Amino acid sequence: MKAVYGLYSDPERAQRAADSLRAAGIPDRDITVISGEPLEEFEFGRRDHRTPMPWLAALGGVLGGGSGYLLSSLTQRAYPIPTGGMPIVAQWTNGIVTYELTMLGAILMTLVTLLITAGIPDWRAQLYDPAVSDGYILIGVINPPDDSRIEIERRLRESGTAAVKEVVLRRRFGSKLQGATG
Amino acid sequence: MEKSPNQITEDLLRPLSRTSTKFYVAVALLGAVVVAAFAAFGYQAYSGIGVSGLRRPVFWGFYITNFVFWIGISHAGTLISAILRLANATWRRPVTRCAEVITVFALSIGAMFPIIHLGRPWLAFWLIPYASERQIWPNFRSPLVWDFFAINTYLIGSVAFLTLPIIPDWALVRDKASGWRKRVYGILSLGWRGTPKQWSRLETAMHIMAIAIIPVAVSVHTIVSWDFAMAPVPMWHSTIFGPYFVAGAIFSGIAALIIAMACLRKFLHLEDYLKPVHFDNLGKLLLMMSLLWFYFVFAERLTVWYGNDPSEMAVFWTTQQGAYAPLFWTMVFCNFLLPFPILAIKRLRTITGTVIASIGVVAGMWLERFLIIVPSLSHKYMPYNWGTYRPTWVEITIMAGTFAGMALLYVLFSKAVPIISIWELKLGLQKKSGVRSQETRERRELTAGLEQKLET
Amino acid sequence: MDPKIQNPKSKMQWAMVVDLDRCTGCEACVVACHAENNIPTVGEEQATIGRAMHWMRVERYYEGEFPDVRVKFQPVFCQQCDAAPCEPVCPTYASYHTTEGLNGQVYNRCIGTRYCANACPYNVRFFNFYNPVWEKPLHLQLNPDVSVREVGVMEKCTFCVQRIKAAEIAAKAEKRELKDGDVQPACAQSCPPKALVFGDLNDPKSEVSRLAGSNRATRLLEELGTKPSVIYLRRESWNDGKES
Repeated sequence: MKAVYGLYSDPERAQRAADSLRAAGIPDRDITVISGEPLEEFEFGRRDHRTPMPWLAALGGVLGGGSGYLLSSLTQRAYPIPTGGMPIVAQWTNGIVTYELTMLGAILMTLVTLLITAGIPDWRAQLYDPAVSDGYILIGVINPPDDSRIEIERRLRESGTAAVKEVVLRRRFGSKLQGATG
Repeated sequence: MEKSPNQITEDLLRPLSRTSTKFYVAVALLGAVVVAAFAAFGYQAYSGIGVSGLRRPVFWGFYITNFVFWIGISHAGTLISAILRLANATWRRPVTRCAEVITVFALSIGAMFPIIHLGRPWLAFWLIPYASERQIWPNFRSPLVWDFFAINTYLIGSVAFLTLPIIPDWALVRDKASGWRKRVYGILSLGWRGTPKQWSRLETAMHIMAIAIIPVAVSVHTIVSWDFAMAPVPMWHSTIFGPYFVAGAIFSGIAALIIAMACLRKFLHLEDYLKPVHFDNLGKLLLMMSLLWFYFVFAERLTVWYGNDPSEMAVFWTTQQGAYAPLFWTMVFCNFLLPFPILAIKRLRTITGTVIASIGVVAGMWLERFLIIVPSLSHKYMPYNWGTYRPTWVEITIMAGTFAGMALLYVLFSKAVPIISIWELKLGLQKKSGVRSQETRERRELTAGLEQKLET
Repeated sequence: MDPKIQNPKSKMQWAMVVDLDRCTGCEACVVACHAENNIPTVGEEQATIGRAMHWMRVERYYEGEFPDVRVKFQPVFCQQCDAAPCEPVCPTYASYHTTEGLNGQVYNRCIGTRYCANACPYNVRFFNFYNPVWEKPLHLQLNPDVSVREVGVMEKCTFCVQRIKAAEIAAKAEKRELKDGDVQPACAQSCPPKALVFGDLNDPKSEVSRLAGSNRATRLLEELGTKPSVIYLRRESWNDGKES
């Protein structure tokens, strides 16, 4: 797998590069954007905003609460032991267990949704450059079509980057980005 | 003078790579106290809980006091940081992580005490609802089982709340570090890159978590208070206990946060990040909670005094005038008389001032938990059974061990993780200079519109 | 007062009547209870700080100014409440309600939270702070019908449940109903002035039912709503015929 990318020192140039790539007919899903902080002020930083996460969290809450209620009431029925003159299935106290598991369900579902939709953990080699941690913004294309590679490189460079790099990604656990040419 | 993003990175990553001898001395000293506490617990588990000072009728003493105290401290973090996040208070950025860390560690320490205090601690797992060969499940009517569920939910939630925003910072460390550190942080950062999708999901998740964690935190301390309020014991059996405990928890939590921040500022040289304004703001919050605490104590005491129930009045007078009165009035001093003027007068609300007030509050809140538990148990109904309580060295050692353990965990954590969220701080800078980019964007949209018009 | 607080689901409702007019405070009941139920003696030092274990105790209250002082004796033991505060707070069901209206305590299920003891308004629950020891040859006098409790568990008066069970088994073997007076807990058996009477409240003809109907009958800390199964007959002999 190959990738071409440019590093931009400020978000406006990055936006220009992204716009330019789009104008060249490259679909949004093939343009990779990587930044060291969220850049919601810019169009390229606001992609993929739609997520069903809140709804899934609510669903997780319903599932958690349901299982909490069933856990407490079914086990109380399975081995009925009277205490303190209270009913065997004591709704007031089961409400507390139900509540806690509702919240737990919502939290766990949020967590799982985050991990799956954000694609972590993924330790395989991916398109990345440590310069992102110095404040650069990476705009790149994975597997560019051979005929338009030069056009892409030109557009990346014209948008104001210092260098356009080309890498070969070997998708293997723990491997680093392999090879880089200027 | 604002720092540049790269300077922020450098400043905040320095504690991770450079280690002074002070660090090793601190770790050795704190570690020694923690080891002593573990030894004391081992001795207690081997000989029987009789080596503690517990006796009839005071079956709960220092251990449960510390349990409530540490669970209270844990409300520093998640709750405060979640509220500040939801309210979008911009000054929160350097504060949230040090607060969330307190939550996770204080909660873990607090949750150990119900196990430490058991007569047969090796059977603590019987509280876990699992299909056992005994075919018996936990008693869901017991407040201790509610505790089990509430504390575990809160612990899972607050660990997630703390860890999620650390992932991008670990990715930053991975890029900056070399050698074994690079490998370790590479694994810890879960392959985080920072695509818009990842950022967006992370922020949505943090938003949901912040909303979810607040009611959980409230429920945790309410349920801890119900450990007492559910029992027909004089001055325990009261509906005020839930909110009273939650308010007290937030009160002691803010105080612990101020102390922790002052230590971080001094020892990690974060003077440019944890600024006087943060202490000033938290000091105002602490002032508000101090007033709220006084209100709750007054409301609780007034109701008891007016009701004039003989069994409750026995407990009431022993704390107001009797054997526990010195502790009670020390508590009032530490929780109100000392912090109120310091925090109310602007000139005194400095870093030193807020730290002095906070130390008072932490000590006072510990006393409050003790005064809720012990006087009631020692003056239950029939005077023939009244008793007293005195802790032994075992309880004191274990308690000292938890304070040392908290400090030790905090020291180790600040070695492994940037104690201030770097990406959130940078985001704050970006938002501050956001006016400019806003303008450019508008200008760009305008030109795009014009171009479209020209084309058509 | 409702003289009979009965558990309608159960056949038996074991109860004890304590006649305070008859109690002389001799504490024979305390000794008998220790011997019957294998209750450890904890030694002088432990007893001083409040760890003595007496399932049955005689509380002394003094009334009046010296020299006109009168002592009131009040034997107190587990009240076997119908709505017992100790039962629901136990996370492991170690304390629970038996079908015969007793507050059961399953030693093996107890993990030692001591919550039940805090919840109990009567302070009649006792905790094994250490493993109990009986120096030789005292171990030979242990009652084989009663289990010995280990460190870290709660224990309390059982109404001599081992004697109740033995009487029920004997009655079943003889193919007859249990008679009033078949079961005698150790304390009631050893009480010289017969201040303690044990029996079934669900049996209207039993001695406890008769005494429970007395206008002297009262229950300890009744205002808490615990519905105790122990009925105290209030002390009248001091009043010289006057209504108190």
